[in-house]
Amino acid sequence: MGYGRFLLKRGVQGVGVVWGVVTVVFVLRFITPGSPIDTVAPLDASQETRQRIAEELGLNQPLYVQYLDYLWELLQGNMGYSYISSIPASVQVFQKLPATLELAVAASVVAVVISIPLGVISATRRHEPADYAATTFSLLGISTPNFWLGIMLVLVFAVELNVFPTSGRAYGFMESLAAITGPEPFFTVVTAWLASLFLPAITLGTYFTALITRLVRSGMLDELSEGYVRATRAKGLPESLVRYKHVLRNTLVPVVTVLGLQLGTLIGGAVITEAVFAWPGLGSEIIRAINARDWPILQGSLIVIGTGFVLLNIVVDALYAYLDPRVIAE
Amino acid sequence: MSDQDTSRRRFLQAAGSATAAVALAGCSGGGDSTPTDEATETSGGGMETTSEPEETTERPEPDTRDGFLQRANRHTHEQAPWVFLHRQYSVYGQSSDIEWQPRTDERVSAYAIEPATDAGDDVVMTQSQMDSGLDPQDHRETPTDNIVLQAYEGLLERDREGAIVETLATDYQRLDETTVQFTVRDNVSFHSGDSLTPEDVAYSINRIVKSDVGIESPQVDQLLGVEGAEVASSDDRTVNVNLSGLNPIVFASFATYCDVMNKSWVESNDQAYINQNMEGTGPFVLSNYEQGVEVAFQRNNDYWDEPAAISTFTINSASESSTRVNRLLSGETDIAVNVPPQEVSRVENSEDASISAVPSTRVIFNAMRYDVEPFDSPTFRQAVNYAVDLDSIIENVLQTFGSATGQPTLEGFFGHNEDLDPYPQDLDRAEQLVEESGYAGAEIELVTPIGRYLKDVEIAQAVASQVDEIPNVSATARQVEFSTLVSQVTTGNIEDKPPWYLLGWGNATFDAIQTIQPLLASDGALTSYKNDELDRLLDEAQSLPSESN
Repeated sequence: MGYGRFLLKRGVQGVGVVWGVVTVVFVLRFITPGSPIDTVAPLDASQETRQRIAEELGLNQPLYVQYLDYLWELLQGNMGYSYISSIPASVQVFQKLPATLELAVAASVVAVVISIPLGVISATRRHEPADYAATTFSLLGISTPNFWLGIMLVLVFAVELNVFPTSGRAYGFMESLAAITGPEPFFTVVTAWLASLFLPAITLGTYFTALITRLVRSGMLDELSEGYVRATRAKGLPESLVRYKHVLRNTLVPVVTVLGLQLGTLIGGAVITEAVFAWPGLGSEIIRAINARDWPILQGSLIVIGTGFVLLNIVVDALYAYLDPRVIAE
Repeated sequence: MSDQDTSRRRFLQAAGSATAAVALAGCSGGGDSTPTDEATETSGGGMETTSEPEETTERPEPDTRDGFLQRANRHTHEQAPWVFLHRQYSVYGQSSDIEWQPRTDERVSAYAIEPATDAGDDVVMTQSQMDSGLDPQDHRETPTDNIVLQAYEGLLERDREGAIVETLATDYQRLDETTVQFTVRDNVSFHSGDSLTPEDVAYSINRIVKSDVGIESPQVDQLLGVEGAEVASSDDRTVNVNLSGLNPIVFASFATYCDVMNKSWVESNDQAYINQNMEGTGPFVLSNYEQGVEVAFQRNNDYWDEPAAISTFTINSASESSTRVNRLLSGETDIAVNVPPQEVSRVENSEDASISAVPSTRVIFNAMRYDVEPFDSPTFRQAVNYAVDLDSIIENVLQTFGSATGQPTLEGFFGHNEDLDPYPQDLDRAEQLVEESGYAGAEIELVTPIGRYLKDVEIAQAVASQVDEIPNVSATARQVEFSTLVSQVTTGNIEDKPPWYLLGWGNATFDAIQTIQPLLASDGALTSYKNDELDRLLDEAQSLPSESN
């Protein structure tokens, strides 16, 4: 099957996903108690005031009319306006996206950098102390709640030792790029950016580190008992080549899948970490929008996340094909 | 009608002693008893609460607005439409780099901050949430207030004690029953350099109260009774404000609400722009706005009054209280807003930070619907009040950051009745009153929002378990999301409300009417109560001028 057809198919699927997301949010609107008017208008607003605000926001229209209006606007590339701030939803959501992407990518980097060596050591030194240490670590990593870990890291490294900032995001990736040519000293900006990213990335990455360590370990053990490994060893290939070229490569196929899908989860699911670190990303924005019933922002955020998921899936499939040529044949 | 009322000023200044930072030793935070020369009620030695609803007609009819409001408070104390709980405190953590005293109305004005060290020249404040846009007339919540008030100003404002002072108005007076006049300060310029004109003032008022001017402002009810404004004379810079009636609290409202905007700037920009930029007259100029992340201000060196003592003021947010405290302890922020009781000791134990607490304008209560059993019996409602051990709730749940109440109007507010004490806990009496009410064996459920007010769930659980201790009543607490509760209490229809629910009410006008009217009058937007006598008292009060203006 050609790449063109593959991409077209995925594109259509992606549009379907986004449409599904929008529809689900509209259904949620219908069944969720509370109205945006309650957050816009004061509690003691007269019914007349509430009515006027509803008219202004278009909330007095029947729901199917609002739904069709929204889809029609969306087709023209307009995600609507925040009920609370009147700022276009696209602007407000895309302003928050870089912070979340940075955090998700950094957490994935943490996971990959730590977990793959750990998994390999664990598998190749099975039932030795190193293996026990690695499995214990992953058990702890999987069972430690994010918020607790985050709070502890802050207390130790930020409040007590003052090595990292406690929370917030002084600069981002874009600001760091701009600093190369801009007036602000590049080194200072990048250091501040990475320092503020460090603790949240560790917090968010720990669970995945543990998950992938176990995945690599068991995958590697399975692969090591395969026939081709014995064949390559019999041919006299050095053990390191066997392990790291052949076995690891095959082990990484499921890992890439998990990582790719987890990255999507990270983008939408970093809510707790974002709250602990007051990280100004989509997670915080979604929580705020839910509490304020700011539907356009919630829809915009979910559309972005949904689209991200679809794109990631495509990337994962492409990587799969590269890592395991058998996939294309299917 | 004098435009400056000294007795009210003294009244509030005396009450202002309550706003001194409260020691952790558990000072109740109530002010001294206030010397008033208003006609107070001649209470028959009444410190003890009455067991049966007394015929209030036994007392002589009041003859002042203050008197009627005090009588209204007495009525609510006796008829007990609420379980009276407490006055919430605003608790801040502040760094030793700054000199700053918190205010009762929960507003943090950077203009009042002074550097204590060199590091105190650039001040950072961390709130629990950011603004909902920078349009000063398009929101109704404290976090946004605290951001816009640095750059925008009203005609009048309040000092720390709550007394009214002139800001963009140099004078204000009543012309007749339905007209008040403001004189607009001369030589004031907006941050863009435009001069402030009476047209700007009239436009700003109309943008709030008239739906055909600018936006649908959610603040329209804050200027209730204001119909519109027009320039009376550009030469002597006067603006006339038309009222629908006498409106005794018109100046109190203007002292709290109605920020003045630049007419031409508003008219030439769209709403999204107005929500991301600022064009005010205030002591700070917006220097950077990152929606949902940070708002940064610089000192306005062309301010019409003394320039501010600090150079920059930055506001950011962290929804987690532990994160706010961490920022304070590591020196990243100078003011942490809303430090909850469990975090207080961390701040107290730190070298470079301390706790500043002040009674807020918010009262926390449990409304009991007057129209459903068993709450339709005043005797039963009193019984519930007698079951609650307020002191233990304040001591154990709020770590002393609260003070007990026995009426809707807080101490130091206009119309507060000093003769009413909080209900003491008396389970035997509660049991007996339940018997009398004929509702022995009642099963009642207290609905509470989750995390909207300080320790709301814990307070509701404590109340429910204490009421449950009355042998012939069983009580439980049920948690709902705040927006769910709001959707039930704001329909304008009493039948939609839960029979018994916890709510908090902030009142920044320092006047009793702004609490009793919406919550307890028959036509109140959120009312859970209906009583002809109370309505009469409120009508009488609103037909008389307030001593405050």
